[in-house]
Amino acid sequence: MADIKKHDTPTVDELKSGPWPSFVDDIYSYAEKHQKQSCFDLMGQLELSYKHKETHWKHGGIVGVFGYGGGVIGRYSDQQEKFPAIWAFHTIRVNQPASKWYHTSLLRKLCEMWDHRGSGLFNFHGSTGDAVLLGTVTEQLEPVFFDLTHQFNMDLGGSGSNLRTPSCCVGKARCEWSCLDTQAICYDLTMTYQDELHRPAFPYKFKFKISGCPNDCVAAIARADCSIIGTWIDDIQIDQEAVRAYVGGELKPNAGAHSDRDWGPFDIQKEVIDLCPTQCMYWDEKEKKLYINNKECNRCMHCINVMPEALRPGKETGATILMGAKAPILEGAQLSTVIVPFMRMEPPYDTLKELIDKVWDFWMENGKNRERVGEIMQRVGLNRFITDILGLKPIPQHVREPRSNPYVFWKEEEVPGGWERDLAEFRKRHPA
Amino acid sequence: MADKIYEEIQNTQLDEIYSKPYDPELAEKLFNPQKPMENRITDIGPPHYAQFFPPEIKKNYGKWKSHEIVQPGVIKYTSETGDVVYAVRVGTPRLITSDYIREVCDIADKYCGGYVRWTTRNNIEFHVTDEEKLRALLDDLKSRKHPGGSYKFPVGGTGASVTNIVHTQGWIHCHTPAIDASGVVKSVMDELFEYFGSHKLPAQVRVALACCLNMCGAVHCSDIAILGIHRKPPLIEDDRLQYVCEIPLVVAACPLGAIKPATVEINGEKKKTVRVNKERCMFCGNCYTMCPAMPLADHEGDGIAILVGGKISNRISPPKFSKLVIPYLPNEPPRWPTVVKTVKKILETYAQHARKYERLGEWAERIGWEKFFELCEIPFTDKSIDDYRLAYDTYRTSLHFKFTSHVEPM
Amino acid sequence: MAMDKEELKRKIMEFMEKKSGAKSKVYLKDMQRAIPDASPRDIKKAANELVQEGKLEYFSTGSTVMYGIPGKGQPVEQKG
Ligand code: HEM
Ligand code: HEM
Ligand code: HEM
Ligand code: HEM
Ligand code: SF4
Ligand code: SF4
Ligand code: SF4
Ligand code: SF4
Repeated sequence: MADIKKHDTPTVDELKSGPWPSFVDDIYSYAEKHQKQSCFDLMGQLELSYKHKETHWKHGGIVGVFGYGGGVIGRYSDQQEKFPAIWAFHTIRVNQPASKWYHTSLLRKLCEMWDHRGSGLFNFHGSTGDAVLLGTVTEQLEPVFFDLTHQFNMDLGGSGSNLRTPSCCVGKARCEWSCLDTQAICYDLTMTYQDELHRPAFPYKFKFKISGCPNDCVAAIARADCSIIGTWIDDIQIDQEAVRAYVGGELKPNAGAHSDRDWGPFDIQKEVIDLCPTQCMYWDEKEKKLYINNKECNRCMHCINVMPEALRPGKETGATILMGAKAPILEGAQLSTVIVPFMRMEPPYDTLKELIDKVWDFWMENGKNRERVGEIMQRVGLNRFITDILGLKPIPQHVREPRSNPYVFWKEEEVPGGWERDLAEFRKRHPA
Repeated sequence: MADKIYEEIQNTQLDEIYSKPYDPELAEKLFNPQKPMENRITDIGPPHYAQFFPPEIKKNYGKWKSHEIVQPGVIKYTSETGDVVYAVRVGTPRLITSDYIREVCDIADKYCGGYVRWTTRNNIEFHVTDEEKLRALLDDLKSRKHPGGSYKFPVGGTGASVTNIVHTQGWIHCHTPAIDASGVVKSVMDELFEYFGSHKLPAQVRVALACCLNMCGAVHCSDIAILGIHRKPPLIEDDRLQYVCEIPLVVAACPLGAIKPATVEINGEKKKTVRVNKERCMFCGNCYTMCPAMPLADHEGDGIAILVGGKISNRISPPKFSKLVIPYLPNEPPRWPTVVKTVKKILETYAQHARKYERLGEWAERIGWEKFFELCEIPFTDKSIDDYRLAYDTYRTSLHFKFTSHVEPM
Repeated sequence: MAMDKEELKRKIMEFMEKKSGAKSKVYLKDMQRAIPDASPRDIKKAANELVQEGKLEYFSTGSTVMYGIPGKGQPVEQKG
């Protein structure tokens, strides 16, 4: 304890002021209280980065604990003389409970463990959803894992070319719009694919994300190789009484989301009917009644968002399954593409799992190193992917519009007579 | 079937393991490096989610009827059973200490029966069931400050606000960042603080930050994205490279195939090394990941690009990618004044001009991007014209454009 | 023509030994290419078992995972 070494960090200290919670103040208060050398060293190295405008970390080959091919990111300081307590500063990804609810008994115990075995710093949470323990040395990795599994009933999340930790929105636990049991699906997939989550299985990473409705609060459509997004196939539920209350100004539009600015009185025509992207709504001023032509609705959620007391998604619910989102590296970014417009989602989710198995089998067999599912979909073509690989019927919902070039790759068996032709016969008709 | 899930949730109890004290010596007793499989438990997965649902959330699972944001940061949920729950949303810096989490626990124990939840965007949500507790909780949250004066638990992030910035690791933990993450986020949120705790904007504005083009956060579909970029190819330490890296692995690491093996002579000694085709390099840092003798970061070259107009939700218009409007801003620790000023300018121009419900990208598309550049006073450069793959998608192939100040009749 | 698992493991190790002179780490994909008559899933299972047995080890490239023979080539831990 005696020889704790603190560093001057005048530049970093400038981030203590201002109203937004200061991570610098938090880390320093903690370091002082617990006399944590690693925290002082981390701030010292950050100061150096602020001065040099360059990072001082190096990567390492460590991927996990024994037998696991993921869950740990190896980090080493390039200033180990100056900052010996962070010579190694690995992160550990801990699989979060679905939709990130906790009880304090777990959290307090976790804090105690991490004070003891690591830096006491966390990322709550990493962008894939894991609770991230930030910073420990190599010798502590196995003990942390033994603690997690023996004393917390917790396990590591995914990294590298593994399945990544699935994540989901708050769903039916607290949102009236959820068309899915998001946590149940998330938990089921996580448990079903434990082997894929912990050990490399694929040419590259694979992610599941589950949102309960088209608002897509976990950004499934942009971040997941397999995006599972709740939707409904019947009619939007209408409470005409409540619609009239919105029109009459008794209820606040959009649940009060615009309360700090005067946008004038609520105008259902301008704010709902005219903004409906499919123009499928009609407000009868005389009757004081809202009509929705549900056959034309594309379930964008706008009207429901504006009048949550009056409108709700339909009762016949399920999921739209989309695939192939990926970050820009390498072929450019992609959003997920609709694969199955409507799938009923009931445990044990066999229909979904059969679909996933087909995709994985094909990708494991044919994917190149570092090729995401979205990229292989492009390489083989969405049409072949849907028909030949998944065995699904091509439908207009798969595309935004039909192609505008005629360069169709016809297959031989689709053309009468095939491709083998008799040249002699041809020349009889067309002398050379 | 849904009933079965409801039932399962009702029957899931908080695991008793969490009330047993932590044993700091247990792991050393169980783990034997000579026999690593001994006592090893694997593939148990995460704890069951339902044990962490507070009683009122459990009971009303799937029964929620509607919600109302009663004030910025406070959402009131009403159930078909008549039950009411208030969720209070507070911002966090994501990078937090165990003492901060203990303070969260103190609050959750005092007001929320020990339950608490984190959101996708690094906010925390506290749940209470009556208004009296709500008031007390809000007062309590407001009173908690760090020594430097910042709020520990600012309330907001709902409705037409700027909610928390999702971000990556930066200089705190990653080896390839061009910029810091936590420091930039703190600086931007300090400046936009009033928009976090209010509903003044035309619609919600999602800001995100990634510190290099690997983009570990959800950035590419954000209303405003702050992206760290490198602009210099890696250095190559010829005299050291062969001793610290495996050349075939380095060659394989480059996604663009820009690295080739090479041999050089240093002081009459032949050394194996590599060469980078600099025209091909996209500054991704994968080579440095595999080889510490190929550092990428550079204090002059690195900086920040700004992308705007992306969205995730399907509301009104489909999800969109963010577009690159500023290719480079300088890297200015500790407070990044140019970035902060630029982000604020874009936000406030949008707030002034957009219609109710209109997201930033929808506004820019309605008025035309040429108009967006003019209104936000952002110089248009050749860097905003795509020359990567599928670039043609963004070229203008119609006469539908406006005559902004950019047009000089010829 | 499912290959017996021990046979498959032997083939993987053979491939790894041969490779490790020039390039000590390989992708799962490289193994699959070298042993085309086994299914990708079986190779994955066998390779992961070899890790459990301590005959292979994982190696992180930052965003993907490779396999190597412990002690050969670039070390997993980069002290100093
Ligand atoms: C080729 C692209 C990518 C590379 C090379 C890469 C590399 C890395 C590295 C080196 C780290 C460790 C940072 C640290 O803790 O020091 C990291 C963290 C992380 N990455 Fe990536 N990454 C890539 C793309 C992505 C993408 C597209 C996502 C998500 C969709 C992602 C999600 C994450 C997450 C969740 C973390 C944990 C830390 C955090 O939340 O900030 N990565 N990545
Ligand atoms: C393989 C693709 C195509 C080829 C080889 C092709 C070839 C041609 C040729 C040779 C002509 C001149 C005909 C003549 O005056 O004798 C022509 C005219 C024309 N093509 Fe195409 N074309 C193709 C696709 C398309 C497509 C996809 C469109 C529209 C979407 C299109 C629209 C036209 C029009 C409008 C003209 C008439 C121009 C005019 O004389 O006013 N073509 N095309
Ligand atoms: C009952 C109503 C809603 C509930 C319970 C809900 C819940 C949530 C939660 C808990 C988050 C994470 C939020 C955070 O950290 O700040 C979130 C994010 C989000 N919500 Fe909602 N939300 C609702 C309504 C909406 C509406 C009306 C929209 C769109 C119009 C929407 C779109 C989004 C989007 C795009 C995100 C951000 C996802 C991301 O980038 O991470 N949500 N929502
Ligand atoms: C035209 C530009 C862009 C497009 C089309 C795009 C598209 C995408 C897509 C489809 C994903 C899903 C990624 C995955 O799961 O691997 C993604 C992920 C991501 N993108 Fe972008 N992106 C773009 C630009 C950006 C920019 C400029 C940033 C940062 C400023 C960014 C940051 C990210 C991050 C951080 C993720 C990971 C999300 C996660 O946590 O899962 N993107 N992007
Ligand atoms: S995605 Fe839909 S169901 Fe899920 S929390 Fe958001 S609004 Fe609710
Ligand atoms: S959900 Fe969207 S498309 Fe459907 S009626 Fe409402 S506003 Fe129109
Ligand atoms: S975005 Fe880049 S620099 Fe930032 S944490 Fe991810 S890989 Fe590292
Ligand atoms: S920075 Fe990326 S693109 Fe450039 S040489 Fe290195 S690996 Fe290749």
